[in-house]
Amino acid sequence: MLKPEYADRIYFLKDRVLCTPPEMDLENAEILTNGFREFEGEPLVMRKAKAFRKQCLEKTVRIWDKELIVGCSGSKLRAGILCADTCWSVLNEELDTISERSYDPFHLKDEDRSLFEQKVRPYWKGRSSYEEWMAQIPDDTRDLRDAGVVYIDRKAVRGFGETTAGYEWLIREGIIGIEEVIRKRRARLDITVPGDYQKDYYLESLLIVGDGMKKLSIRYSREAEHLASLAMDGERKRELLEIAEVCLRVPTHPAQSFREALQALYFYQTFIFMEQNAASYNPGRMDQYLLPYYNADLKSGAITKDQAQELIECLWVKFAEPCLFQDAVTAEFAAGYPMFQNVCVGGVDETGRDAVNELSYMILQATMDVQLYQPSLSVRYSLAKNPSNFLRKVVELIALGTGFPAFHNDDIGIRMLMNKGIPLREAFDWNPCGCVETNLEGRLRHYTALADVNLGSVIELALLDGRSRKANKYVSVRTGNAEEFETFELFLDAIKKQFAYVTRAVVKGSHIIDEVCMNRPSPALSLTFKDCIESAKDYAWGGAKYNTGNGIILIGVADLINSISAIKHIVFDTQLVSMSQLLKALEDDFDGHDDILKLCRKAPKYGNDNPDVDWIAGDIFTYFADEIESYNSKFGKMTPGILPVSGNTPFGLEVGALPSGKRAWKPLADGVSPMGGTDMNGSGSVLKSVANIPHDRFVQGTLLNLKVEPAMLHDENGVRQMMAFLKSMCSLGVYHVQFNVIDQEKLLKAQESPDDYRGLLVRVAGYSAYFVELGKDVQDDIIGRTMLHGISVG
Amino acid sequence: MESQSGRKTTDDVKAVVLRIERMSIFDGPGLRTVVFLKGCHLNCQWCSTPESQIIKPEKGFLQDRCRECGSCIENCKTGALSMIEGRVVTDHSLCSSCFECVDICPHDAHKSFGQEMTDSQVFDEISKDEVFFFHSGGGVTISGGECLCQPDFVISVLKKCRIRGIFTAIETSLSVSWEIIENVLPFIDNLYVDIKHLDTRMHKKFVGVNNKLILSNLEKLDRSELPFDLHIRIPLIPGVNDDDASLLALIPVMKSLKRLTDIEILPYHRLGVGTYAQLGKDYKFEGLQPPTEEYIAERIEFLSKQELTVPLRIAGGA
Repeated sequence: MLKPEYADRIYFLKDRVLCTPPEMDLENAEILTNGFREFEGEPLVMRKAKAFRKQCLEKTVRIWDKELIVGCSGSKLRAGILCADTCWSVLNEELDTISERSYDPFHLKDEDRSLFEQKVRPYWKGRSSYEEWMAQIPDDTRDLRDAGVVYIDRKAVRGFGETTAGYEWLIREGIIGIEEVIRKRRARLDITVPGDYQKDYYLESLLIVGDGMKKLSIRYSREAEHLASLAMDGERKRELLEIAEVCLRVPTHPAQSFREALQALYFYQTFIFMEQNAASYNPGRMDQYLLPYYNADLKSGAITKDQAQELIECLWVKFAEPCLFQDAVTAEFAAGYPMFQNVCVGGVDETGRDAVNELSYMILQATMDVQLYQPSLSVRYSLAKNPSNFLRKVVELIALGTGFPAFHNDDIGIRMLMNKGIPLREAFDWNPCGCVETNLEGRLRHYTALADVNLGSVIELALLDGRSRKANKYVSVRTGNAEEFETFELFLDAIKKQFAYVTRAVVKGSHIIDEVCMNRPSPALSLTFKDCIESAKDYAWGGAKYNTGNGIILIGVADLINSISAIKHIVFDTQLVSMSQLLKALEDDFDGHDDILKLCRKAPKYGNDNPDVDWIAGDIFTYFADEIESYNSKFGKMTPGILPVSGNTPFGLEVGALPSGKRAWKPLADGVSPMGGTDMNGSGSVLKSVANIPHDRFVQGTLLNLKVEPAMLHDENGVRQMMAFLKSMCSLGVYHVQFNVIDQEKLLKAQESPDDYRGLLVRVAGYSAYFVELGKDVQDDIIGRTMLHGISVG
Repeated sequence: MESQSGRKTTDDVKAVVLRIERMSIFDGPGLRTVVFLKGCHLNCQWCSTPESQIIKPEKGFLQDRCRECGSCIENCKTGALSMIEGRVVTDHSLCSSCFECVDICPHDAHKSFGQEMTDSQVFDEISKDEVFFFHSGGGVTISGGECLCQPDFVISVLKKCRIRGIFTAIETSLSVSWEIIENVLPFIDNLYVDIKHLDTRMHKKFVGVNNKLILSNLEKLDRSELPFDLHIRIPLIPGVNDDDASLLALIPVMKSLKRLTDIEILPYHRLGVGTYAQLGKDYKFEGLQPPTEEYIAERIEFLSKQELTVPLRIAGGA
């Protein structure tokens, strides 16, 4: 329950977000376009920096009623920002449809449309990342992309994102402190030395964006003063004057209070979104870098715990305002306007000891209180170091059924960072990024999810000799007629060859995108990367302290494992069905082949702690990681990951029936989770199976969704068992889990589509059964909650 | 199923296992793996697990999954299956539990209840969850049916668990000879004893046997010096044992038990009624409705007033 002292404000702010439908916002695009015209002839990064400053000077500045933390990347409360230089063409393609499209629509006003058509489009035509990418995409990559085997446009339709800026440094030193570092670095240059001229204007561009930021925050201060002069309500007047004072100080100067630290953080967050429309700029370890400010204020009496809680919650609502602008296809792969601003609590400190503190709990509480879709909240849980009280608070949040937090096994996260080449001392400071990727504040550059690979397609290509069933076209390497595979090993070999071919095509594409993005410098982001200043190299050019190759993400894990298992068991081991019979059944989507479908479904399934199938998870995913890591980019080794966001659904549409029993054009399984309806032994067995994947090698993260029974969350015994379950997950070396609580809605779904919920157990003491096998009247009783105490469904 | 460790010795002890349930939070401390064995000496009329009553594996039929394709009838070797008025009907007296129909049915309308497993196979399944036992203080619970219908198997599995440091529990009605109980006791950390009714006549009427053996075993148990924890579980069955007099009759016995740790009440539920139909058995309590939450709370309250010396709670509840 929110404390009454601030509940009214938080509910008011929250309602405003929920009641405002997202619009397109073209103000930034217009100013950027004008800026690029005005500064023609100057180096690209200077034009970008000067256009950014122009945005700071000219953009609409608004402070909305009752808010305490202020700032907005655009001119509208909830909007998708068009960053014309990276992705003007995305909007161009969707001018007629974007207001109404099924995933993540944005309302486009007529005046904005004509602004776009008359001013923005004419200037940027031919210059967006997407157009450059389309002009250069290799044929093999294009064929695979068009057949839905890979999705690789993400980075070409928006900015970098997927990074954690140096928030801590900015808050601590202020822009004036960073400017000082830049000036000193600049003083060491000699423009007569080859290369130093570039460095000089690059550093100047950093000073220019810093100057813009200072001026924009002062504009907010003025606006607050102005509103204060108009305010009728004395209380609001006082608040506005306080806002004016805070905005005068930060982010220009070092923050001197908890509130200033929060405001500096949020201002900078809006600035980097202004520079580039991008997903997942992650505030990261807020419980760590904000703690000194909180403690000092508490000690001096400048703030109470409740006031600090209110401010965090005000900030939480701000995080939920912006909406990610992306094209219709990308939106299908990551639906819900996902800004992925990932905040993290817990874990260990730089000495490797327990880092949980009072703010960790307050941040968890803020997410419990505000319950909006942003910020994404992650927990780093160190089994060895973090206290069980912290784990209990995490379970309380899980019990709310919002899907938060994303629970991460700290030791595995640290190992992932180390496998990216980061020394242990710094790896201690890792933070989750976006969905479940791994990051390091202010030091690491890479695109964590450059491309997605459809593992359902990989199986299909191995069975069809490189042909896509849907496209009815050979799009991949010819690995031979599957009917002629005499052994299981030959079939497995074909899968590996298909995967290797696809990986190679993705790597080629990734290298091209890296080149395209060399022309997308991001000085506002680079400003808080110390090494970008020292090396006088932009984030985009590899100026960060650590750089690694882009992420290649695998989708359809369970479909792949179960398909391999089915073929091994029914075609090769028991020989109940020949390969040609199986292929015919797949071609017919199992229609008229009930017997074969049954055999496919009966084959050992991933998610049941069954070694007969789980070995595949270990072997094949080790191969996949080896294969991806065998490639280098100009920024370092390519990096594997397993996180679907929502990409398993559109990828499934591209894949016909599979030996796993998946019907044609249906969704793939998500993340590393089992296929729905095939995990029959409950969540412990799922964890045991999932643990066979070498998680730490998939350094961009692995994602597990689990169902959890309400009985595990709502009484003392259940909560304790849930805590034990989470500790077990860490012992097993599984990296991440998040929970869907089984509620009435899910039980109704189980009644409707029992095949997807075959493993759902109903338990009371001394009794258990599968929900879908109970009579309808008993099911209805359970759904109606008219049943007894101590019943558990999960 | 081959034992995971590859051991396959001639001294394997076998049992008919109904199912193995993992991650239970209701059948003992911590997260537990519950092994349900088939076979029971009692015949409780409210039984929620009719598929556990006889030792032999049995076949069930889920009518609403059947598409009347007839493939099971064609393949039935004993003629137990036939089509009557467009519906597949099983003559259980002819069924040999070969489960051919289970394998053949494309819609999974036929279902097997129980399979023979060796002690090593069952132990391998149990040991898979050691990590959960470690963090939760859980372990294995052997239940049924009446698990002591297959005592050698129970002892063998529990011994193996003990060696591995896995905590053990069994759930029993004590309706077996004292020798059997005596042999299994050394391997048990938690013992759950079901007590249904103290009135011998009522016990005979609703459970099928009288309660003399059970009560005498309970008395002997209480004198044991082995370090197990004793828990009593009482099913609360409307119209059978939920009246004041029946409940009050329990009190002196509960008070007399020096070893008793706590009492759990298991309120009557109807989750198992569908299984009767699947097995072609009649459910004698067809019309009985489960008690309301309020009623259960009131009965608990009533029992709590009787100055019990141990905690009393609803099984699975707080």
